[in-house]
Amino acid sequence: MFNLSVAFRFLKEGRMQTALILIGITLGIAVQVFLNALIMDLQLSLVEDTVGRSPHITATMPDDVPQAAYVPPDGRPALARIVSNEGSLKPIRDWKSVEAQLVKLGAFKVIVPVAQGSGFIRQGEKSLPVILRGFDLERADALYDIRRRLVAGRYEVGGNGILIGRELADKLRTGAGHSLRIAVPSGASDVFPINGVFDLENQALNESWVLVSLNRAQILFGLDQGLTQIELQVPDVFSAAGWAESLRRSFPALKWLSWQETNAQLLAALKGQGSSSYIIQMFVLLSVTLAIASVLAISVVQRSRQIGILKALGMKTRQIGRVFIIQGAVLGFIGSLLGSLAGWGLIAMFTAVQKANPAAGLTSISVRSGAVVLSILIATTAGTLAAFFPARRAARLNPIEVIRNG
Amino acid sequence: MADIELEGIRKVYGTAISTVALRGVDLTVPAGEYAAIIGRSGSGKSTLLNILGTLDRPTEGRMRFEGRDLFAASDDKLAEFRSGTLGFIFQFHYLLPEFNTLENVLLPYRIRHGRADGAAVRRAKELIEKVGVGPRMYNRANNLSGGEQQRVAIARSLINAPRVILADEPTGNLDTETSESVKGLLRAINREFKTTFIIVTHDRHIAAGCDRVIEIEDGSIKRDLSTSELSRDETWAELAPCNCREREDGRLPAAPPA
Ligand SMILES: Nc1ncnc2c1ncn2[C@@H]1O[C@H](COP(=O)(O)OP(=O)(O)OP(=O)(O)O)[C@@H](O)[C@H]1O
Ligand SMILES: [Mg+2]
Repeated sequence: MFNLSVAFRFLKEGRMQTALILIGITLGIAVQVFLNALIMDLQLSLVEDTVGRSPHITATMPDDVPQAAYVPPDGRPALARIVSNEGSLKPIRDWKSVEAQLVKLGAFKVIVPVAQGSGFIRQGEKSLPVILRGFDLERADALYDIRRRLVAGRYEVGGNGILIGRELADKLRTGAGHSLRIAVPSGASDVFPINGVFDLENQALNESWVLVSLNRAQILFGLDQGLTQIELQVPDVFSAAGWAESLRRSFPALKWLSWQETNAQLLAALKGQGSSSYIIQMFVLLSVTLAIASVLAISVVQRSRQIGILKALGMKTRQIGRVFIIQGAVLGFIGSLLGSLAGWGLIAMFTAVQKANPAAGLTSISVRSGAVVLSILIATTAGTLAAFFPARRAARLNPIEVIRNG
Repeated sequence: MADIELEGIRKVYGTAISTVALRGVDLTVPAGEYAAIIGRSGSGKSTLLNILGTLDRPTEGRMRFEGRDLFAASDDKLAEFRSGTLGFIFQFHYLLPEFNTLENVLLPYRIRHGRADGAAVRRAKELIEKVGVGPRMYNRANNLSGGEQQRVAIARSLINAPRVILADEPTGNLDTETSESVKGLLRAINREFKTTFIIVTHDRHIAAGCDRVIEIEDGSIKRDLSTSELSRDETWAELAPCNCREREDGRLPAAPPA
């Protein structure tokens, strides 16, 4: 109680020093909060760009595992028969029940049953490989956002009607209203009228995707009523791996892959970015801590007279120490509180500038209250720790040194 | 019987060049005594008083308070002893410049009890009025004059109603009139509360008003005078240097003392 009021009085009376160190901490923490929010949002937008318009989890039939042709008495397979499934697609037959169970789980934003296979388009000399994707256009739109990005024709498949990407159309010098002959590996081929042209802002997709109806794809690839895959999206992209894991347990007959498993490189890049951001934040915090420590060390020297009197009047070692520990904690706390506000201001400013200039890409970054609370907690702890050596020095001061010499 | 007993106290300063400040002091101060310590500058008065105040540990020797061996205790125990038992008026009247008069007077109370309740604040105000700095109640300590600071320090030494008050030159910076009133105040407190006083002073007027005068010379007790058996003028004569044996009222005695 008394320690607290002495600590506050010392801070208040050392106005200049207190103000300067608070400005220092405020700037440091503001940078930290801003940087943290910026990096987090950059990562989110990067992830969103990468997986926002693609499935988070995909279910397929597992590849055939080589079967042992001969198992000797000791139980170790000696010969293996390699089965290739190239050309022939293994369909997911009972997908309706799987889908019903997935819907029941309620954890998925989008569920798209897909039947797809490869094909090629012959045009004169050229033979262009394409992917024929069969799905329900309405359901797929929630995942791929195609309707909005249709540049010609109408958003409709059915019968032999197809949609193709802009690059493919350009390459073939064709467009909505024309037709294409497409062949599949089984040898079958047919003529497909182009209902529309889309632009998914992705050259690879625009070049290779040919959208057909689910039913047409099933027939074309001899899948009967089956699918080649089920594509899912979850509300929180980062939960995909966890969901894939639990789906693997619930539906062991299918092969479940999350985007994290297929985008290891992106994940590694995110991790690298994250850890460099942590290192920067750590150094900011370290300099804040050192600044508090040095200001308090100076304060102990400046107030050695007062410390001596207080000890002479009966204040104990620990109480004196606490006076300085409290100062460190208070500086850390108030500084980081102000710093969080300033960081929030920086973020608001940044967002305003970005909004005024949408070409810059990242449109807004947001304050995460959890991260802010964590910063304040860490900075307060750091301030307390920073005060440790100055406090010890104050506690050890011998009052007689002061009493004797005026 | 709050006796203070010193036994063979020696204090040596420094290691390379050592200064012997006290060379074997034995002293007993009974509870309620009003004692003065006098002596030339550098004779060891402050050193002795700081040891009595447990602010400094002697190089050798023991001190007992009510039979308790003090220097065997830890620094924190001594701090507790100080805040509970002792009042200090330092030679350089140390106030905390960050605090105002009232807050300074309350410091020892708050060190001991944490919070100052209404009664403590009332008592502090009373003491401040008593030492005559009432009009400066809320002034910051570093804006007070030397004499005002001295009086605030006196009020501060009294706030915890200590059993022993140690004063180093309590009237050093005061004019004759204030000095007289401070002297009267200390004496009154001694009489009223049986507070033991040990006052280091250069002021013969103060010394003459004490029950006992201890003269220190070169780190030893040269003279230990009990004034209660002497008349005022006899005391005065004892304390006066040889060349100015005037009476307390300033007149020369009729006949030179034997
Ligand atoms: N820290 C120290 N280091 C070395 N010598 C010291 C120290 N403190 C005091 N002394 C010496 O001890 C002796 C006694 O000092 P002390 O302060 O007790 O004198 P004093 O009687 O109070 O003098 P004054 O009347 O001037 O206040 C002096 O010779 C002084 O120089
Ligand atoms: Mg002295």
